[in-house]
Amino acid sequence: MALHRILTGALAGTILSSGALMAQDYPERSITMVVPFAAGGPTDTVARLVAEKMSTDLGQQVIVENVGGAGGTLGAGQVATAEADGYTVLLHHIGMATAATLYRNLAYDTLAAFDYVGLVTEVPMTLVGRSDLEPADLASLVTYVKENADTLTMANAGIGAASHLCGMLFQQALNVSLVTVPYQGTGPAMTDLLGGQVDLMCDQTTNTSEQIRGGTIKGYGVTTPARLEIFPDMPTVAEAGLAGMEVSIWHGIYAPKGTPAEAVERLSASLQTVLADPTLAASLAELGTAPSPATDGTPAALQAKLESEIARWEPVIADAGVYAD
Amino acid sequence: MARPINKTDAAAGGLFIAVGVLFAVQSMGMEIGTALRMGPGYFPLVLSGVMILLGAAIVFTAFSSEDEPVGTLAWRGMMFILPAPIFFGLTVRGLGFVPSIFFTTLIAARAALKMSWLASLILSVAVMIFCTLVFSVGLGLPFRRFGPWLPV
Amino acid sequence: MDLISNLGLGFATAGSPTNLLFCLIGVILGTLIGVLPGIGATATIAMLLPITFQLEPVSSLIMLAGIYYGAQYGGSTTAILINMPGESSSAVTAIDGYQLARKGKAGTALAVAALGSFFAGSVATLLVAILAPLLTIVALKFGAAEYFSLMLLGLVAAIALAHGSILKALAMTVLGLLLGVVGTDIYTGTPRFTFGITAYADGLNFVALAVGVFGIAEILRNLEGEQDRTVLTTKLGSLWPSRADLKAMIAPMLRGTLLGSALGILPGGGAILASFASYTVEKRISKTPEEFGKGSIAGVAGPESANNAGAQTSFIPLLTLGIPANPVMALMVGAMIIQGVVPGPNVAAEQPALFWGIIASMWIGNLMLIVLNLPLIGLWVKLLTVPYHVLFPIIMAFCSIGVYSVNSNVYDLYAVAGFGLMGYVLMKLRCEPAPLLLGFVLGPLLEENLRRAMILGRGDPTTFVTRPISATLLGLTVIVLIVMLLPQVSKKRAEVFSEAE
Repeated sequence: MALHRILTGALAGTILSSGALMAQDYPERSITMVVPFAAGGPTDTVARLVAEKMSTDLGQQVIVENVGGAGGTLGAGQVATAEADGYTVLLHHIGMATAATLYRNLAYDTLAAFDYVGLVTEVPMTLVGRSDLEPADLASLVTYVKENADTLTMANAGIGAASHLCGMLFQQALNVSLVTVPYQGTGPAMTDLLGGQVDLMCDQTTNTSEQIRGGTIKGYGVTTPARLEIFPDMPTVAEAGLAGMEVSIWHGIYAPKGTPAEAVERLSASLQTVLADPTLAASLAELGTAPSPATDGTPAALQAKLESEIARWEPVIADAGVYAD
Repeated sequence: MARPINKTDAAAGGLFIAVGVLFAVQSMGMEIGTALRMGPGYFPLVLSGVMILLGAAIVFTAFSSEDEPVGTLAWRGMMFILPAPIFFGLTVRGLGFVPSIFFTTLIAARAALKMSWLASLILSVAVMIFCTLVFSVGLGLPFRRFGPWLPV
Repeated sequence: MDLISNLGLGFATAGSPTNLLFCLIGVILGTLIGVLPGIGATATIAMLLPITFQLEPVSSLIMLAGIYYGAQYGGSTTAILINMPGESSSAVTAIDGYQLARKGKAGTALAVAALGSFFAGSVATLLVAILAPLLTIVALKFGAAEYFSLMLLGLVAAIALAHGSILKALAMTVLGLLLGVVGTDIYTGTPRFTFGITAYADGLNFVALAVGVFGIAEILRNLEGEQDRTVLTTKLGSLWPSRADLKAMIAPMLRGTLLGSALGILPGGGAILASFASYTVEKRISKTPEEFGKGSIAGVAGPESANNAGAQTSFIPLLTLGIPANPVMALMVGAMIIQGVVPGPNVAAEQPALFWGIIASMWIGNLMLIVLNLPLIGLWVKLLTVPYHVLFPIIMAFCSIGVYSVNSNVYDLYAVAGFGLMGYVLMKLRCEPAPLLLGFVLGPLLEENLRRAMILGRGDPTTFVTRPISATLLGLTVIVLIVMLLPQVSKKRAEVFSEAE
């Protein structure tokens, strides 16, 4: 263990010193942004929007590479061991923090393997039910769920998925245990919700907003501290007294540990410029989300977020006793 | 009167039984669960059982049918064809796309006795150029053309 | 008529010079990349997706759809010519298509595939236009129990895929099911049979399996007797199907279209059954079932039509519900979102030009494909005159790139080698690979839906027979099983009797 640390330290040192030489010209070639999920998913979408804007700002192409698999841990692991030269970065979501607990044999040390570039966006989640579910609003849903805990079913998109995490919080907040029905991704879970095969789900607003607007499912509440602009009538979970259920899917950009400080600074500065770009805000608004404030596009903000989220999810996951490895 | 055993069928059946046993043993290490909450081992264990039964049935029929010759085996083919994708996997990140696809093609080309070294080399260079132009330049796939293992 | 005006809007949108151009580019690119051995529709789209991001929403989706059909078409071409399917659907085409090619009828097989695809595509497009909302309601009636019963029916069909021993076909199906189980259990997160390799946590890669057991095994077999090159006849035979061939394809084409359209609507993965199911039906009702597996026209026409019809109707859940039915559709969703169109039930009402434009472009794309491909058949067939020892190293290079490009996962490449060896050994033991593939694609679905149905049904197994659709499907399964096994039984009995006499 100690030897390992010394070695990585020494290695990082050499790369740092060699990196200093090239820092003025950074970036002088294209940058690979690894997305640890399949092309076309919500995280991929966020990455491509941001990558395109950053390409313009950096004057070099930021190319998205999808390295999907194992809940995002394959892609993260690949970046953790990539050359720390500033030309490989990782865009990952909340899974970065939860995987630290969900996977007990991760190939990398979440807190030690990365440098931080900054926070990108936070996607709110919505609690939704099938269209013919009895309760009309969040307050009556709470009573209804408590009374019918034995018969209600709650869908999620798989172990460790955003919908799984949110579902766990919902059940813990109400102190009930519903029959959980896992699916392989959001698509099939939503299909069964539309078809009335399952009763409840909590998912990213990106996936739910159009269905709620179309009346094909019922939207009960949002998991953010404030109500959403697109659904001004939908209460927040806090309004209904669901303590500790606030959750959002945040995205951050990381670099392998030991990336030259100049490169990290340049990337972070570029991210902040992009976050302040109104056209990015417009694109993200279509997804039911907004860019993080530019002041959060910093290494310190991301590091603080990651550390607090790891600490937050550890007991939740341990309580539920579900692991993904 | 001893009938000749169909060795092909006997081997196939034996193989299926072996695979079934392998999966069954692994499945037993997992939670089996109940019919309501099937554990991860439930479905594979059932399948393994079916597999073993089918394997046994195939072995059984081998005793009542004519022998069929297996024929020659493509040893040289296996020696060169199978390592080709493995080599590509091992080196595409380290060596980079261009040298890796060159050697991959070269290795595969050696499987044929008819290919001289020169012909193999020419073919590999041609494939390398074509693939680089199409996949890396044309489609812009995020492959590194020359990897970190190479001196710059 | 709403339909007429809607279709008019659609054709006006898709028929604009820009969109026509992008449709054409998509179809050409899709065909060209898809025709490279070992690279199927998923790999093609994964490679070409970023190109479409720079375009207008309608153009981008029209081009993506074009790539999708083009890649499927190209995949069938490679399946027929060199037995290298890059997709589950073309695995079925490979069975009889490759045999036709070996007989020197590659041109016929390609033409039959093209015509069947075009016909099925046209009919299915019309179905999408007329019935989309109605069909959606039916599709939503399918829950876990229904899917389980449907998959079971599909599995029984696997028996017909083989032309040799039924026992071996069954064993191969079960082997496929077991291989399909490899990966993380979605209900508990337990890794199964991954031997600690995280890269296999999401299961084994289908393309790696298909390329390995079909393509590489075939290369190895061809290398056995290098001297006597029995691989492919040098005689190319006629390029075009004869009148008799065309007559033989009509009925299978019609049935395939119907079957494929129906299965494609189901968002839970019905489309993957389409080509397998059609093959089974054709073999079952054929007057010459012994031809199947040895180069039957019906064995190409039916599955190709079914496959293409399913590909069209699988757009229905996407367009009317915003739910992607397969990985390709998931990519379309991503493309829509990037373009600022969030897919959902409102797309038809709020973006009529986009909605109907895509539908119209389906037909235009199919038309372009046939216009493009019929003349190309001559060229493809000429590829067969390339000496095999030059061809196969090129195939290996493309396979490696294709498999890697899907997920940038090097373990998928190791799997290709492993499956190649496995496929070769099994081939030597006279076990056919098609049932294995069907088992592999159905395995995860079968288990997932079985377990989900049990959870939703509170552990009551009668849920499968008390739900009417599920019960009907199970009934069909039993009937199919009986019909399949009867000739075997009677044959056995005939043998017994003849021996007794």
